[in-house]
Amino acid sequence: MPSLLSIRGLEVAYGAVQVLFGVNLEVQTGEIVAIIGPNGAGKSTVIKAVVGLAAVQQGQIVFDGREIANLPAHIMPALGIGYVPQGRIVFAQMTVTDNLEMGAFLQKDSVKRRQAVQQVFEQFPRLYERRHQPAGKLSGGEQQMLAIGRALMMNPRLVILDEPSLGLSPKYVDVIFDQLLALKQQGRTLLMVEQNAARALELSDRGYALELGHNRFADSGEKLLANPDVRRMYLGGA
Amino acid sequence: MLNNNRRRVSLGLGFGLMLIAMTAPLYMNAYYQSFLLQLFMMVALAQAWNLISGMTGYVSFGHTAFFGVGAYAGALLLLAGFPWWLAVFKGAGIALLLAVPLGFLTLRLRGPYFAIAMLGLNEVGRIIATLWVDLTRGGDGISLAPKLLPSLHSNYFSMLFLALSATLLVAFIHRRRFGLELRAIREDEEAAEMVGVNTTVNKVMAFMLSALIPGAAGAVYAMYTSYIDPSSVFAPALNIQMIVMVLFGGTGTVWGPILGAGIVMFLREMLWAQFPAAHLAALGVLLLIVVLYLPGGIISLFRARQQRARPDARTGAAP
Repeated sequence: MPSLLSIRGLEVAYGAVQVLFGVNLEVQTGEIVAIIGPNGAGKSTVIKAVVGLAAVQQGQIVFDGREIANLPAHIMPALGIGYVPQGRIVFAQMTVTDNLEMGAFLQKDSVKRRQAVQQVFEQFPRLYERRHQPAGKLSGGEQQMLAIGRALMMNPRLVILDEPSLGLSPKYVDVIFDQLLALKQQGRTLLMVEQNAARALELSDRGYALELGHNRFADSGEKLLANPDVRRMYLGGA
Repeated sequence: MLNNNRRRVSLGLGFGLMLIAMTAPLYMNAYYQSFLLQLFMMVALAQAWNLISGMTGYVSFGHTAFFGVGAYAGALLLLAGFPWWLAVFKGAGIALLLAVPLGFLTLRLRGPYFAIAMLGLNEVGRIIATLWVDLTRGGDGISLAPKLLPSLHSNYFSMLFLALSATLLVAFIHRRRFGLELRAIREDEEAAEMVGVNTTVNKVMAFMLSALIPGAAGAVYAMYTSYIDPSSVFAPALNIQMIVMVLFGGTGTVWGPILGAGIVMFLREMLWAQFPAAHLAALGVLLLIVVLYLPGGIISLFRARQQRARPDARTGAAP
């Protein structure tokens, strides 16, 4: 079966500084895939290239049989890619409900849009409690839920998350990882970049460890966790 | 329910104001007609500024560039023998066309950089109007002979038409997807892009529409005053007035700019005769108070009361 997302020989540079030197990566339908690596390894750049926020110099990005490298970012929701950016970017002045509605603003059928909002509320009851509040008033963890919920509004075939646990309180790190697991159990496909490599690999079917813009290790989550080199280089020893 | 009520109040108020404005020339003398004409102009300009800066958050300090272009185009076309209404039409069209390349160039800039670029644009317009003597007669300005000019009534109704169309345009956009897209851009451009908003196209569209109105208003203004020169139409002070009126009334709203233009024009007219020197300072202090204590503008006074009156009307079904 062909992969849902297939990245081959990806090269990206910001100006004169090359960040990725031929990265390869595959995501199958129904998997959780994690990209791990130290700061500056180019983890976020890989997914930014996928969602059209970083210009691709070389290589292929094929999503569902279609070449998507260098397509503009605003096309991604229509293609079936939901993106949860780093830093919980929400529409701060809009209410929680309006934020979610914005997530499906390409969906012209307002009944379907409302159904999607209800589904997100079922997934995240906390957001339902806060539905009338401006998103800017939510806690960091709630904002992250909202950003994830917004990305789910178009019922994407692939959800891409950039550092979903970054900057959250330990309690909310647990909540967010539980939610990601719940999404997988519902049959969603996730690709995430995560600083918290151990947690991410525990959750993931497969992982890719990057080092300075190159693939270093690629294996199942379990095997990567057990690999002494990976433990030493990416999981802080032990 | 209350939403419907609000719309009814809005419509009723709008029709009432229109009725007064339409019939005013029957019983008002030239002084009041002139005052209203200027008020209409400011409403139109404030709405145009509201459309780009209020709705997308791209604060423009140079929308008078389009006003100036419209004024010069209108005056020159009138001299070239076009009927006044066609000159106005074409003046607006030229401003609109000019906005396309300028929009693509300047709207890449964010925050203060866009504001400064627009300020610069207005200066470029003023300098071209000053130096291109063959076309614009430079600093001498252009005088329009009375026999070429439309009557005060024509100018009055032209400005009224512009104020009305600008307001309806803002109201229409407000209720459309386009309005939602602009609002998303104002809140967070990156997030807007990620949920599928084509931010570039939307921004340039809003910019074009917001250039069309000052273009037309500039042309009518030239015919109303019968004389323009570079610094009277490429006037940063006029741009400041647009901003003040929108902030005063309520940014990004339909009624805010009308309210703001009305109050500021009225106060200025009242204070101007009594305190020729101090009236601007008084207005400045007033604006400061509004911005500090009513960031949503005067209109938020009405909004706040309505919201308190309906604590939780939008509760949906529990999941």
